[in-house]
Amino acid sequence: MALLPFLVGLLTLALIYGLLALALNLQFGVTGLLNFGHVAFFAVGAFASAIVTLPPPGSAAYLQAAAQYHVGLGLPVPVGFLLAGVAGGVLALLIGATSVRLSSHYLAVATFAMAEIVRSVLTNADWLTGGEFGIASVPQPLKNGAVPASVYPYAYLAGTVLVVAALLALTVRLTESPYGRALRSVRDDETAARALGKPTPLLKLGAFVAGGVLAGFAGSLWTHSLGVVHVGQFVPIVTFEVWLAVLMGGSGNAFGAVLGALVLMTITQGTRFLGDVPLLSGLTRSNPSFVPSLRFVLIGLLLIAVVRFFPRGILPERPRAPGRGVRRGGAVPAGGSGDPPGHGAGTAPAAGARTDGGEESP
Amino acid sequence: MTELLQTLIFGIATGAVISLSAVGLSLSYGVTRFINFSYGEFLTLGAYLTVLFVGLGLPLPAAILVGMLAVGVTGVVLARIFFDPLMRRGFLPLLVTSVGLAFVLQNLVRMIAGSNPIRFPLPLMRPWHVGALFVPKIPVLVVAVALAAMLFTHLLLTFTRIGKMMRATSDNPALARASGIATARVLAATWFLSAAIGALGGVLLAMTQIALQPVMGWSFLLVVFAAVLLGGIGNPYGAMLGSLIVGLGIELGTSYLSPDYGHAFAFAILVLVLLIRPSGLLRGAF
Repeated sequence: MALLPFLVGLLTLALIYGLLALALNLQFGVTGLLNFGHVAFFAVGAFASAIVTLPPPGSAAYLQAAAQYHVGLGLPVPVGFLLAGVAGGVLALLIGATSVRLSSHYLAVATFAMAEIVRSVLTNADWLTGGEFGIASVPQPLKNGAVPASVYPYAYLAGTVLVVAALLALTVRLTESPYGRALRSVRDDETAARALGKPTPLLKLGAFVAGGVLAGFAGSLWTHSLGVVHVGQFVPIVTFEVWLAVLMGGSGNAFGAVLGALVLMTITQGTRFLGDVPLLSGLTRSNPSFVPSLRFVLIGLLLIAVVRFFPRGILPERPRAPGRGVRRGGAVPAGGSGDPPGHGAGTAPAAGARTDGGEESP
Repeated sequence: MTELLQTLIFGIATGAVISLSAVGLSLSYGVTRFINFSYGEFLTLGAYLTVLFVGLGLPLPAAILVGMLAVGVTGVVLARIFFDPLMRRGFLPLLVTSVGLAFVLQNLVRMIAGSNPIRFPLPLMRPWHVGALFVPKIPVLVVAVALAAMLFTHLLLTFTRIGKMMRATSDNPALARASGIATARVLAATWFLSAAIGALGGVLLAMTQIALQPVMGWSFLLVVFAAVLLGGIGNPYGAMLGSLIVGLGIELGTSYLSPDYGHAFAFAILVLVLLIRPSGLLRGAF
């Protein structure tokens, strides 16, 4: 097994997931929005970028690839990348404008349901998305032209590093600005933020849309790295893999989110080798879904373990001076692991306290 | 006209299955106050264990009962291991843990039983003919079983000591504790009841869908969520009404609007409910 290509693939994938985690961290880690439908923004980004960049049906490239799709605009990949962000952002605007005001666990269910509706639409809109079969022959930028195929994965990785690093820097800049402070105030105590005159619905919508744009970008990076796109890639577990990355890396910390994605991908891609373990290979022959299922079992267990034993993550959000030492009222439940109040959104004392009130009048 | 009646029959049967599962989910929400994403796996486990016990030679009704008991106990054990230690840490850790648990259970079933659909061992039944109308027996049976189970739950909650304690704990846990109710034991009893009802819901779901798959409970979960939220969360009677509406909505939508979208109609109802009336149709505790 060639180790280097494997590592390059792993890193590219991890960075794309890192971008998804960065987006979710902006929505959940910073602003406290429970987005359980993250995969939908990833999906529309991927499809938008693919469809925009595919050579138009009937063109020479279309005939050469013996392709089957019906819509392709033949625009350059950077345009596809930008439009993927637009698509993710517009979807987030549609979903967010209607549901971002819902109290937290209703928002979780609503976003989860809307992601399923999006998947249902993508599956059934065969003329646009290729339905269950998807679209192969998605263009890969500069391949066989400026960059020879032999070094292509390395070049793609380098490009992904640049894009993700730029977006990471931008996001950190945003969350360290007064705007970011306002977002955190919504997370920590929405009532207080509103009492101080912050337009909390608008702040939440802003964070939700920004997250949608970032996830759309991630979709574009993903589809052009693979050269294929189909709905089967965008199942709900993707959403929760990203959640795992954010929680594991340290909710509220953008660097933590990207690091979490890196750790997560190392673990999940590492489990690909489970099939080579002598004892397991026999079981694999009798039940081909044994090893993939085992992988999902491990992801589930990891999710449970991180929330329970490691709620602050690898890189916890750094305590901020104005908030430090400020004690909340008696409403804060005694956190099991003695987290300082207001930090470590994994334990979410603030969110918990908020729901207790929200129960009566959601 | 007959087509509409036919659709209504299936709609009511679908509604009955959703209804029973929704009652179970509401029960556990009533005392735990978090939306349990692993609830669908109780349905899956119930259906698979029933098939397993039928395979071991039990008659179908006995297999269903043993399956329900086994899933009830599983529910209590899982709650003790995974949810109880998190009860004081707000709802997010519980929510995320329930998602993780759903993936674990669903994929354990897939690892053991494989992902191919398994036929539910039901004898062939000829439909009744009522005029020009075919009345298939399975939906009628499903409705009857679901109604009986819900009546049982209603009687249990209204008239028995444990049922009253469950309602008291759901209404106000602190007050219930202060009145001398052992809320931890009530919680365990509620988990048992909720999981066992889920198992029966899974069996009925398998009967209406003919075959069972490891993903059946997970994909049905959103439909149940839709019903629960439509009816008012934590309110079993509201859940019954919500389920009937969602069940009819799915069948009517599939027959008259577009057959490709199926469950998406339920999600659309869910989203509409959340936007227009997030407190559900009927409010209040059960």
